[in-house]
Amino acid sequence: MAENKKMSVAEILAAARKADGGSSGEAEPPAEAAPVEAEAAPEAAAPETEAAEPATKPKPATGASGGRPSVAEMMAMARAEKGGGAKPAAPKPAPKAKPAAAAKPAAKKPAAAKKGPAEPRDTASILAAARKGNKPGPMSKSEAAAKAKDDPKGKAKAPIVVPPMPAKPAYAKPAAPAKAKGKKDEVDEGVRDFLWVGFAGLGAVTALWSLASLKFLFPNVRREPPSKFKVGFPDAYPAGQVQTKFKAQYGVWVANAEYNGQQQIYALKSVCTHLGCTPSWLEAEQKYKCPCHGSGFYKDGINFEGPAPRPLERCAIRIADDGQIEIDKSRTFQEEMGQWEDPACYVSV
Amino acid sequence: MTHGLTDAQFFDMVSRFLGPYYIALALMNGLAALYLWRSDQTKTWFRLPIPLTGKSLPITNVIGWLVFALLFTILAGIGGKSGGAQLLELPESWREAINTYTDPIWYSVITTVGLVVVYVFRGFFVKPAVAWIIWNLMWLFLGLSMTDSDFFEIVAKPDNVPIVMLVFLLAFFTWLGTYQAVINDRRKENGEPPMEKVNDEKVLVWPDLVYTELICMIALTAFLIFWAIALPAPLEEAASSVKTPNPSKAPWYFLGLQEMLVYYDPWMAGVVLPSLIVAGLMAVPYIDFNKAGNGYYTIKERQFSYIVFQFGFLEMWVTLIVLGTLLRGPNWNFFGPYEHWDAHKVEALNNVNLSEFFWEKMLGRSLPGTLALADISPSLDPSNWVIVPWLGRIVDPFLQFFSLLFGRELPGTLLVLGYFIALPPIMALTVFRKFYERMGFIRFMVMANLLLFMGSLPIKMLLRWIFDLKYLIAIPEYFFNF
Ligand code: FES
Repeated sequence: MAENKKMSVAEILAAARKADGGSSGEAEPPAEAAPVEAEAAPEAAAPETEAAEPATKPKPATGASGGRPSVAEMMAMARAEKGGGAKPAAPKPAPKAKPAAAAKPAAKKPAAAKKGPAEPRDTASILAAARKGNKPGPMSKSEAAAKAKDDPKGKAKAPIVVPPMPAKPAYAKPAAPAKAKGKKDEVDEGVRDFLWVGFAGLGAVTALWSLASLKFLFPNVRREPPSKFKVGFPDAYPAGQVQTKFKAQYGVWVANAEYNGQQQIYALKSVCTHLGCTPSWLEAEQKYKCPCHGSGFYKDGINFEGPAPRPLERCAIRIADDGQIEIDKSRTFQEEMGQWEDPACYVSV
Repeated sequence: MTHGLTDAQFFDMVSRFLGPYYIALALMNGLAALYLWRSDQTKTWFRLPIPLTGKSLPITNVIGWLVFALLFTILAGIGGKSGGAQLLELPESWREAINTYTDPIWYSVITTVGLVVVYVFRGFFVKPAVAWIIWNLMWLFLGLSMTDSDFFEIVAKPDNVPIVMLVFLLAFFTWLGTYQAVINDRRKENGEPPMEKVNDEKVLVWPDLVYTELICMIALTAFLIFWAIALPAPLEEAASSVKTPNPSKAPWYFLGLQEMLVYYDPWMAGVVLPSLIVAGLMAVPYIDFNKAGNGYYTIKERQFSYIVFQFGFLEMWVTLIVLGTLLRGPNWNFFGPYEHWDAHKVEALNNVNLSEFFWEKMLGRSLPGTLALADISPSLDPSNWVIVPWLGRIVDPFLQFFSLLFGRELPGTLLVLGYFIALPPIMALTVFRKFYERMGFIRFMVMANLLLFMGSLPIKMLLRWIFDLKYLIAIPEYFFNF
């Protein structure tokens, strides 16, 4: 332990590299487990790589399924080391003093790990394998079959030796760049021009298109009825009648009826006070009835059925200078606020 | 759709529909029989003794379904012949009866009682044979009702076809879930593990799940394309701000909300309650402390959750959608399924607020008015305030509002406050004692309030139907109605 502490960072790295290169994939399962856990177990990996001589290594723990330990077992081992518990593979406790140095070899390990026997290394399969090992969870039939078949095979897998790369032959070397230079430039120019045209065109189209959509915000026709309009002379409104012909155009009913003992001509806005649908005047039942949730209003606009919480609203109404009735929709009067007393909202007859 | 058709033409049209319809039903039963027979699931219901020979003939489910298939074939023969549909009408008296029992009160009472009965006797209703008979009867009822022109008009409207599908699909899936839950509950009683734990072979996401999803996706797309071609979406006249079609219905999945709007202020039914539905569903994992039922169907171990969910979903959501689609007509009036949609149907619905009911009817006096600063003492009139007149103008509305809340609307205010403030502790002390002990104060309060809000809808509906009550608290001056 004491010697370990005295090693410099460089030495450690050298040792780690030696261990990396020198060991076949199969030789050091616990160290391979480390990359699986990522850098989470740096201390676990470090002592292992330093003491890489095969002789000092205790026998690798054999997996339940075959000669080599399963990933689950490796993980278990790594965890045990980290926790400082029983250490089958690394007899010495991790030197806590140099986690940074240790982390580097650990990070390098994936390369070594790849040399090992083909075993799925993605997270999902590792997790699955881990679960398979220690939990009697469900297992598919195909898995069970595969497991049974795997056992004898796993032991005798030779390490893969990568032969050195052959030297590149002459014909494979990149061609001399000088040869087609002039021609290539011409081509480039053409391409560049073409791109310019393309982008300019694209920009123009986009600009036009945005303008067109902007135009869309200002429709050609705006059907917004004027808020002030005339609806004819008072004698066109016989007592007790509701005139519905202005509803389609202006959204008001003009009625001549009694309200609070007074015969009045008034204009009701045809907007339901519940959620704003347009009720319709039912002559036979003498009521305004809303098709949306069934609110009903008396002829004078007072709500009496359905959910509407308040009466219809009245619009300002007056006799214009020419003797016609003029309605101003921009001013409304609400009964529940006591505004119907206002003489601006009715014409006495 | 049936407008301008003579009776004969109408029945001709229905016949063209009924022929294939009944043949499809016959096929459905025939295939069921075939499947049961080939997969060795025949069950003998009883043995029919054959006279003289001393032997007896076993009557199995296969034979039963074959008889059904035969009956449907006969119906197809009768109904499919041109004009033959006339012979397959439901008797007039039945239709009358159904019409009268689909008014709001009966409709809700019957659906509620029906759901309770199905729930209590679920052990009986989920038996495959029983469920299959009910399934057949549902289709038969639809077929027989189709010969009524008013019913046909509603049900065959392309807008409403999804609702009919919804009813059948929902019946099927509810059965499917309940069936497995009943089996599991029984196994639990015998000390066996639930079905899901016995044969839980692991499957992989890729390819098992992804392939299934892909196939479903393609099949569903094909179905939607077919549907869109077969039943073109109905187009209505151009929209107009001064004309609302009558009746004006929301998209079908919102009809429950629209129905809610009939009983509540838009603010309540359009904003508060829908957000509470979403918030409540999100709170379920937080509220739920029952660990049972994880990964398998069960009812016994989760009675409370099951009942609350089914009440909220089947009763408050789906039934209201069905009601809104099939039973609401012009002017948002109620119409029986075989009733003509008469735009001039008069229904006296004179609704009163609780305050009017209390002050005017019970105490025989006029409604108390509002209170303003000036009323308390002339010196308090904001217009007399030399230094800070705006302060008075700010205080005044508050004073008015609260004087209404605790003056004119006092009875309703007390009721609502009592409902939301006094009930939870009472619940905690009585029926929900165990829940309270396990959940702790905050969790219990969240649950209790969500439950109370859910309960407020049917309560309000009942009050409307029985007492013509409009609002418990009605302060339209400040857009505050409850
Ligand atoms: S909008 Fe008129 S009743 Fe709801």
